[in-house]
Amino acid sequence: MVTLIRQELFKLMHKKSTIIGTIALLLLMTIFAVFSKLQPSFSDPKGEFIAAYGGTSWVVFFMIAACSTIVAMEFQYGTIKELLYRKYYRGEILASKWITMFIYSLYFYVLSFIFSVILKMVLFNSKFSFSDIYTNDQSVMHVTLVTYAGSFVGLWLLLSLVLLLANVFKSSAAAISVGIVGYFATSIASSLMFMLINKWEWLKWNPLNMLNLSDQLSNSTVIGTLTRLSNTELVWGNLVYTGIFLFLGYLVFRRRNV
Amino acid sequence: MDDILTVKNLNKSFGKNKVLKDVSFNVQPGKVVGLVGPNGAGKTTIMKAVLGLFDFQGGSILINGKGVSITKHQALSEVGALIEYPGIYPFLTGMQHLELFADDTSTDKADIQNVIDELNIGSYINRKAKAYSLGMKQKLGIALALLNNPKFVILDEPMNGLDPKATKELRNLILDLAKKGTTFLISSHILSELEKLVDEIVVIDNGKIIKQTSMEDLSDSNGNYLVLTTTNDTKAREILSAEGVTLEKSDKLKIKKTSDDQLAGLIQLMSSHNINIVDVQHEQNDLETSLLDLLDNDQVKE
Repeated sequence: MVTLIRQELFKLMHKKSTIIGTIALLLLMTIFAVFSKLQPSFSDPKGEFIAAYGGTSWVVFFMIAACSTIVAMEFQYGTIKELLYRKYYRGEILASKWITMFIYSLYFYVLSFIFSVILKMVLFNSKFSFSDIYTNDQSVMHVTLVTYAGSFVGLWLLLSLVLLLANVFKSSAAAISVGIVGYFATSIASSLMFMLINKWEWLKWNPLNMLNLSDQLSNSTVIGTLTRLSNTELVWGNLVYTGIFLFLGYLVFRRRNV
Repeated sequence: MDDILTVKNLNKSFGKNKVLKDVSFNVQPGKVVGLVGPNGAGKTTIMKAVLGLFDFQGGSILINGKGVSITKHQALSEVGALIEYPGIYPFLTGMQHLELFADDTSTDKADIQNVIDELNIGSYINRKAKAYSLGMKQKLGIALALLNNPKFVILDEPMNGLDPKATKELRNLILDLAKKGTTFLISSHILSELEKLVDEIVVIDNGKIIKQTSMEDLSDSNGNYLVLTTTNDTKAREILSAEGVTLEKSDKLKIKKTSDDQLAGLIQLMSSHNINIVDVQHEQNDLETSLLDLLDNDQVKE
């Protein structure tokens, strides 16, 4: 298993998209921070730090692309045979890909956090300090960490679905497109969903509703009335759905002829 | 000695289409076995099943006595393979491919260098694989199959895209490794490629095994003919037919050789009818023709 994860990381590190993704993330965060420095009337320095200067939102796209590719590329390049005929179980091969993606998403989150701290120090050091109270008697740093954790759990719900879809497609491009289009479609559908939840209470348990976790954590009173779930329920809902989607992906992968 | 590979009554369908019908054959350790048949006969399907890439509807596959299926892969720990076309990551160099799949860190450096030298791929091994030609990719695919010193190597059409020099080098390498005890299962639709290489062939057509035989037996059983020239060929033909001797389709008197004293009998028969045999030629079919005969006979039977 360790060998398989090492192999996946080796491939990931040698892909151009990995370094491009990293540079793009840092660049986009910098641009965002500089703009809000230049336009102080539109910006909320604390709020932007908490949102990692857009970093955690961009990470969603990079991770959708990476998760689609890590499975679909093996079919596209014909390397899947090379992976599967060896002594490992199929489950191990798939799990090594999940774990690699988990490490990759952690990398992006840590990078976003560290770079946010740097941007804050360079551009907004005099505006606020990490121990200032932000909302509900909680410090900026506390809210930041809770927001990160919430969006990370939500990210993985999305990624588990992408990993399931990527199993069905044989080309990386198709898998990425469906992943990203699907992501936008869910945000568009969410207002419709809130209306439906209002009508049929049980619909609050649907997976799209779970994606509101990070919004609710940072603004629980407003969103909470829409999702009709407590924070704890949302966290568990996310974890359970992530588990279900990963398991479905495994079922598809296990029996797939190559 | 126990078989390294035993395939028994393997059946496989894609929907209603039966692609493997009760396929059974075996491979003994240290042998080079050719899997031969026309395009679409089921060669690649068999190899994929042996590598646990397919589920199959019936039958069993044993490697070193251990069962292989889509969920059971332990027996494949000492198997190397190249199936269809080589799986290559365009963003890695050849060297990085070898490093990626080399499994024992203490010996892998020497092993990698060894494979590079044997296949003569050193000149481009540090270039990115997306710039490789078909032949270069093929060689890298073979290198990956031979990496980690596997005991059993499965190669699907390994000569694809190789120039004559590279084909010869590969042949010598396979023979060399076989001498050292590596077992090979090699498929091809071109028998002449395998002729100088394999100890045994398994002939497959339409998803069925038609024959498993040693190379010598194939040429002996199918390939030897006596061609007679007599003072009266027309009459000789009548006499031979009357005596129940089967004549091959030919404008000459061509008789399949069945035993060494067959010729003496023919001479006696002819002289008893006052026909002199003026010339006897021994004709041997090449393996290609023998194979085609086998396939033709199979179709006649159906």
